[in-house]
Amino acid sequence: MNLTTYITEPAGLQSFYEAIVATNETYAPVEKLGKFDYKQIKTPPECQPDSPIEQTMSIKPLFFPKSARVMKYEATAEGTDVTDTTEDPLAGKRVILGVKHCDARGLQVLDEVYKWDYIDTDYQKRRENTIIISARCEQAATHCFCTSLDYDVEQSDAMDVAVINGLDGKVYIQARTEKGEHFLKENASGLAATNGSALEEMKKQYQAFSGSFRLKMDYKEINGKMQSRFESPAFEEVATNCVSCNTCAFVCPTCHCFKITDERIRDEGVRYKSYDSCNNIYFTLMAGGHNPRPAKYRRWRQRAMHKFVYYKERFGVNLCVGCGKCTISCPVNISIFEVVNQVSNV
Amino acid sequence: MEQLLVPTICTVDQLIEETPDVRTYRLKFKDDSLTDSFKWLPGQFVEFSLLGSGECTFCIASSATRKGYFDCSIKRAGIVTADIHNELDEGDEVGIRGPYGNWFPLEELKGKNLLFIGGGIGLAPLRSLIQYAIDTRNEYKDFTILYGARTSADICYKEEIEEWKNNESLKVILTIDKAEEKWKEHVGVVPKILEEKVNPVVENTKVITCGPPIMIKYTLMSLDKLGFAPKDVVTTLEMKMQCGFGKCGRCNIGSTYVCKDGPVFTYEELQKLPDEF
Repeated sequence: MNLTTYITEPAGLQSFYEAIVATNETYAPVEKLGKFDYKQIKTPPECQPDSPIEQTMSIKPLFFPKSARVMKYEATAEGTDVTDTTEDPLAGKRVILGVKHCDARGLQVLDEVYKWDYIDTDYQKRRENTIIISARCEQAATHCFCTSLDYDVEQSDAMDVAVINGLDGKVYIQARTEKGEHFLKENASGLAATNGSALEEMKKQYQAFSGSFRLKMDYKEINGKMQSRFESPAFEEVATNCVSCNTCAFVCPTCHCFKITDERIRDEGVRYKSYDSCNNIYFTLMAGGHNPRPAKYRRWRQRAMHKFVYYKERFGVNLCVGCGKCTISCPVNISIFEVVNQVSNV
Repeated sequence: MEQLLVPTICTVDQLIEETPDVRTYRLKFKDDSLTDSFKWLPGQFVEFSLLGSGECTFCIASSATRKGYFDCSIKRAGIVTADIHNELDEGDEVGIRGPYGNWFPLEELKGKNLLFIGGGIGLAPLRSLIQYAIDTRNEYKDFTILYGARTSADICYKEEIEEWKNNESLKVILTIDKAEEKWKEHVGVVPKILEEKVNPVVENTKVITCGPPIMIKYTLMSLDKLGFAPKDVVTTLEMKMQCGFGKCGRCNIGSTYVCKDGPVFTYEELQKLPDEF
């Protein structure tokens, strides 16, 4: 299928967004106290699709909620009554605007674990019913290294539609998937389709963007070296300052560990599925007190190895998209980029 | 929503006090029409909910060749298991998800001598396979069960072990760690008895073992000394699990999901995993 690129002016982009918001359940970055989180919006001025990456949260919670009700149960005279009939608030047809490329890639990475063997149909339905419209960053932020990882940031099909602000002052709106092509056919009727010259302009924008990175790594080299670093004493060093707060996992677009907990009030109860993290000291604590990862360095080893060795071995992709969110949010300035480089090179 | 995590209701049909801290719960589906569709093989496990308390992972301790029910033997160890022991009685209801995980290599066991080595509550997963193998006895050659517990009171499945002892086609060897007045069987830890009293045939034998980590550690060393190849030693791993189906990330050892790729592994497979546990 041919994928179309449309060209417009910034004002045209605004109208494009307005049309989407008017007819779709739409989510976009909304500012609150200097940070941006993806919220449902009713009018485009509420949001800022070009929100700076360093201050923007991941879209992960729109697919994998921080805490979701799994079921409700009630003890009745006839026995236990289990209900799981609550409607999934994230399952409807919807559009997300202003998604960063790294964050969109995070979903592709998560797809691998959710479709493996047992299929998580809730997640899958949320994915299928969502149109992702990205906003490509103009510049790398301090902790970004997306261009160093195992995906093509320039051509990525992690988003259905890519929005790119050209250096020529024009806006390029490009379908990246069939779903996106279809969506644009229906929603970009006022915009002009372009030809090859648009690709040139987008390339220029990408070159300027990719030239702005402070951090660069050779992920293949890291993957290779990390494989033999299980016993590396460097893990102890990198983990020294960690306070095991789990923030890195909660803000990460690809971390997906969760826990299952019950709450009971008298004869009624609810079961939740909530975020968890391998940095949590209780993560592998077994009944009876045995804990295979009691020390911070063991938990950090798991985190780093899972991201750059184990997930790659199992599913063929790194469990890191180079977004830098974990580093920005870390209270003690631990950088996953530095951790894997340090461990690889000791 | 989150449908994979919603359990099915089962009823406690029978509660058997095995030891001071182990009970076997015999479960039946509340909706009897589900009984036949619940199919499992020895080695698989379930997620067992005491609703309101939480969910735990237990192996299925009985064989599907014994129809109409399945057993979970539960040792009082943590928060949920304590609640189970304190609250759960015959006629009560629990939530069950599963069966999950892989199973013992049934095809590879055919035509072989079987040597079961169990310690404490570690007999539970073996019992599923032992029952299965007793019910298909003709498929196997020699059949030996070595079982050890700390004290005679800690021996699980006492009545069933008597049946095994009375079954002439099985050889049953029992041991406890320290001598007791009325105890007539062996005394000494499992690896010691294995080396000194069992005299197992190495050729054409598969060893199936489960027990506390310390027993496993020394038993594997003894098996190595006796000449068993790591590929012929099968064990089932205890690992913290929650979802049971390869999503929650808890049971990873390297790129292996114990809940999906295991819990049954050969010693050969275990040797290839990162030395995390």
